[in-house]
Amino acid sequence: MATETRQLRATLALFALLALLPWAVLQPYWQGVLIVALYYAALAVAWNLLAGYGGQFSLAPAAFSLLGGYTTGVLHYHAHLSPLVGIPASVVVTFVVGDLLGRIVLKMRGPYLALTTFAFLAIVNLVIANSYAVTRGDLGLSVPALPLTRPQYYYLFLLVLAAVQGVTYGLLRSRVGLFIRAIRDDELAAAARGVDVVRWKTRVFAITSAMSGCAGALYVHFSGLASPEMGTILESGLVISMAVVGGLGTLPGPIVGAFLVEAGAEALRQVGVRHMLVFSAVMILVARTFREGIWGAVERLLGAPRVLPASVPGRVPEESR
Amino acid sequence: MAVLGAAVALALAIPQVAGLAEEPVAIGVLVTQSPPGSVIQGTQVLDGLNIAAAMINHRGGVLGRPLKLVVEDTSGLPEKGRSGAEKLITRDHVVAITGEHQSSVCLAEIEVVHRYGVPYVNTNCWADAVREKGYPEVFNTSPWNSLVSEAMARVIKDMGVRRIVAFAENTDYGIGQAKVLEQKLKELSPGTAFTYQVVDRTASDFTPTILPLRTNPPDMVVTILLPPAGYLLMNQLYEQGIAPAPRTWLFDGSGISDYPDFWDNVKAAGKYLISLGFYHPRMKLTPFGVQVRDAYVRQTKHEPGRLIFQAADSLLVLADALRRAGSTDHAAVIRALSTTRVLGTRGTITFTKGHGATFQQWTGIPYVVYQFTDVRQALEETRLIAGPGVALDVHRLLKP
Amino acid sequence: MLFLDLTINGLLTGTFYVLIAIGLTLVFGVLKVVNFAHGEFYMAGAYAYVLLALRAGWSPWAALGGACAAGAVLAMVTERLLMRPLYATYTTWKVPKDEYAVLVTFGLSLFLMNLATQVIGPQSYRGPSLVQIPRVDLGVALISGQRLAALGVAALVLAGTVAFIRWTPWGREIQAVAQNRFGASLAGIDTGRASLVVFALGGGLAGLAGALLAPLYQAYPQVGALPAAKAFVIVVLGGMGSVVGSIVGGLLLGVLEAWGAAYVSYAYQHVFGFLLLILVLLLRPWGLFGERAREV
Repeated sequence: MATETRQLRATLALFALLALLPWAVLQPYWQGVLIVALYYAALAVAWNLLAGYGGQFSLAPAAFSLLGGYTTGVLHYHAHLSPLVGIPASVVVTFVVGDLLGRIVLKMRGPYLALTTFAFLAIVNLVIANSYAVTRGDLGLSVPALPLTRPQYYYLFLLVLAAVQGVTYGLLRSRVGLFIRAIRDDELAAAARGVDVVRWKTRVFAITSAMSGCAGALYVHFSGLASPEMGTILESGLVISMAVVGGLGTLPGPIVGAFLVEAGAEALRQVGVRHMLVFSAVMILVARTFREGIWGAVERLLGAPRVLPASVPGRVPEESR
Repeated sequence: MAVLGAAVALALAIPQVAGLAEEPVAIGVLVTQSPPGSVIQGTQVLDGLNIAAAMINHRGGVLGRPLKLVVEDTSGLPEKGRSGAEKLITRDHVVAITGEHQSSVCLAEIEVVHRYGVPYVNTNCWADAVREKGYPEVFNTSPWNSLVSEAMARVIKDMGVRRIVAFAENTDYGIGQAKVLEQKLKELSPGTAFTYQVVDRTASDFTPTILPLRTNPPDMVVTILLPPAGYLLMNQLYEQGIAPAPRTWLFDGSGISDYPDFWDNVKAAGKYLISLGFYHPRMKLTPFGVQVRDAYVRQTKHEPGRLIFQAADSLLVLADALRRAGSTDHAAVIRALSTTRVLGTRGTITFTKGHGATFQQWTGIPYVVYQFTDVRQALEETRLIAGPGVALDVHRLLKP
Repeated sequence: MLFLDLTINGLLTGTFYVLIAIGLTLVFGVLKVVNFAHGEFYMAGAYAYVLLALRAGWSPWAALGGACAAGAVLAMVTERLLMRPLYATYTTWKVPKDEYAVLVTFGLSLFLMNLATQVIGPQSYRGPSLVQIPRVDLGVALISGQRLAALGVAALVLAGTVAFIRWTPWGREIQAVAQNRFGASLAGIDTGRASLVVFALGGGLAGLAGALLAPLYQAYPQVGALPAAKAFVIVVLGGMGSVVGSIVGGLLLGVLEAWGAAYVSYAYQHVFGFLLLILVLLLRPWGLFGERAREV
């Protein structure tokens, strides 16, 4: 499909640009900002796979980055295990928990799915914030930094983002990708055609949760602190707005969104405006006017036809226009 | 705040007019200016710092250059304290950092200053843990939990209290102080049974956890909570008739009565409160302290609280160290800080060479214990139970 | 005794929960969507109350009315600007509508919270008490004067709301639209107006709750997040769209939380509600009083 190749090419170009960025940006402070943007980009790509391509609008992405961060943090704080153990452990733990949540929400759609994932996020956050003996609660866990320089951190995060994006792309290109999209468009019909709905829905949930967990674990080793602030509804909102603003259901969209929001945040901070104010407004506008986000607008400019699946938000079914 | 800001701007302008149009010396300030941290604390610290900065600049600044405060908001969150410290050091290139008043945030910040080797003056982080880390960059002009708990334990011992229930906020400060108090009581007053309940500093409704005290009232309730949670807890303890009550004393260990909005928030619940504090009008102030107090009263029409003096002292100590170091080089300033001997607002400030809870700590901090005997009572009229020059006498306490 | 104390306190808190939840359940009944910005109507009411009373010098009782109005107006603007697409092609929309509602209302929630932080500031404001009596001895329990007064107002307003839904023409329209939107429009009912009214009602009630609780829970940008979360639990527990369900659910949640906090764990007291939410959604998604056949 032309759209897909265009998106693939754009994504590759994006990664090429990102790989060259550290040569242009030399100040440690700004390199730090970019590293954080890469972290959010990974979360946004994962959520895009779950919601944009998979149709499951979970409000809990921040729960998994939080869990990932705390798994490695707790393992280090109490058992003195190195990040080499902690980070893989985070991936495993979040995979398992994501699978569990996926099973819980299996039969749910729309507001019920949103509510359940919202409640899950709240529970995880509350438990972590109140279990002072294990997690030091509100105050956060001190986590060792990896022995890397800023530019090295940058490439590590970029590598992880590339891996996450690669897995996403590979999944979508394969049969599994067809299953996922079939389930999103019409679950009943997909089941009737023999798609193992249970398996693929939970699998996608588990995989995207593991991606978020991995990103979270890396992030805490960069920042040196695991804190409950990583797992609030506002953080989830940030990730979701990045994916929506960038372009839900597209390959390069979430990455574009993440960088835009993070860089935009810094710029807005200089003029004293809260970045979330602007981005939540943009998110509402994007959803309300059924636009496909930044990437969608770019595609439209390049003359892409509006051949879009029915049930992704912003895609109004043709027959109802 | 605008008034103080204008004062600082004016003070900064004076050296310019006098021909000292040099690049200012940037001092990083990390305080809470938004929830969930204690905003009132942050405001007080900033006020004190601004007053001291204005005074120092009025006298010519440091190294012939004016002092400039670069402020970052931590919201009382360790993560923001960490990123704020990084920003101040890498983006604003500050000479030193001060102002922090919440222990958990301090703990995150000292990791950053230790990594970069930047001097740090702890304005109001009480947790022993901040000192116990032993980072050479960190100097403590702030009270510390062991001091407070020991003072409280002595009072409690003299009062002969048998059963205490304490409420501590879920921060390094709160839990730290509760634990040290428990330990000091075991040493000094073994006959006293002490239990504590950790509560969320962002919670508003403490009723479920205080209702059991109605049926089984203890002899004393101890509060280790900053505002706004501290005010809420006091109000609810009062509403439920638990403390202060004829059977139950209320002893506060967090200096809560020190804030300008204390009486507006607690009203009747503050009568009979016993408080451990670090400022009382009957305390002797040095000439510098008197100047700071007068400046604050002039600008706000309020009596100052301890944070004003603590903040002024933090900045004074830094200015003095800069002068003696003769440069803004981080390592030189740290060396100069360790040999500090300067007259602050309430006494001469020096830093011990000890370790543990008194590592690089000003141990000569004066404190008072007093009791309010009326609603909206001015500090002068409170009953002084202990203080510099006042022997501890618990018989002066009034039972509600 | 402790048990009685806790139960009474739980019922008290529960009554305020009901105020917030009723609006949410009504909106769901009529529009079949969960409004994730409902907590911000509560926030708007809390701010209106505090600012009108403290800055504009209104009396607390007048400020209460102002808070109601603030919540209602905000809700109506939300309905007009953002909810229209939900009915325009109602009969042909299925799946996209749900995701649209989630995204749009969630985005609105973020937007309003940040707007408050930007325009008013992040600090909290404590509203003045309605009455100046600190303590009232009811014999079995002690309760603050403010709580008692707030309870009185809440109970009256709740009774009025139920009466409104049951017996007034507009209320009956709302019931009709909730039962079958298409059928109601065939019967000549202005469904757009019914939606507007129900949003205004829900917003006004949430705003009132925010104001009544402002002396205790204060007003700050994120103040509506937890009450909204509790409202979600109640609405699911009671059954989406059921007014009786919200009342029972709200009181039940209040009491369960009080017992849980005292007997099980004070630290995790808020977790109970969310666990209950997940349990209900898994085992009995239509709640206590909801319609069984609804597709989840």
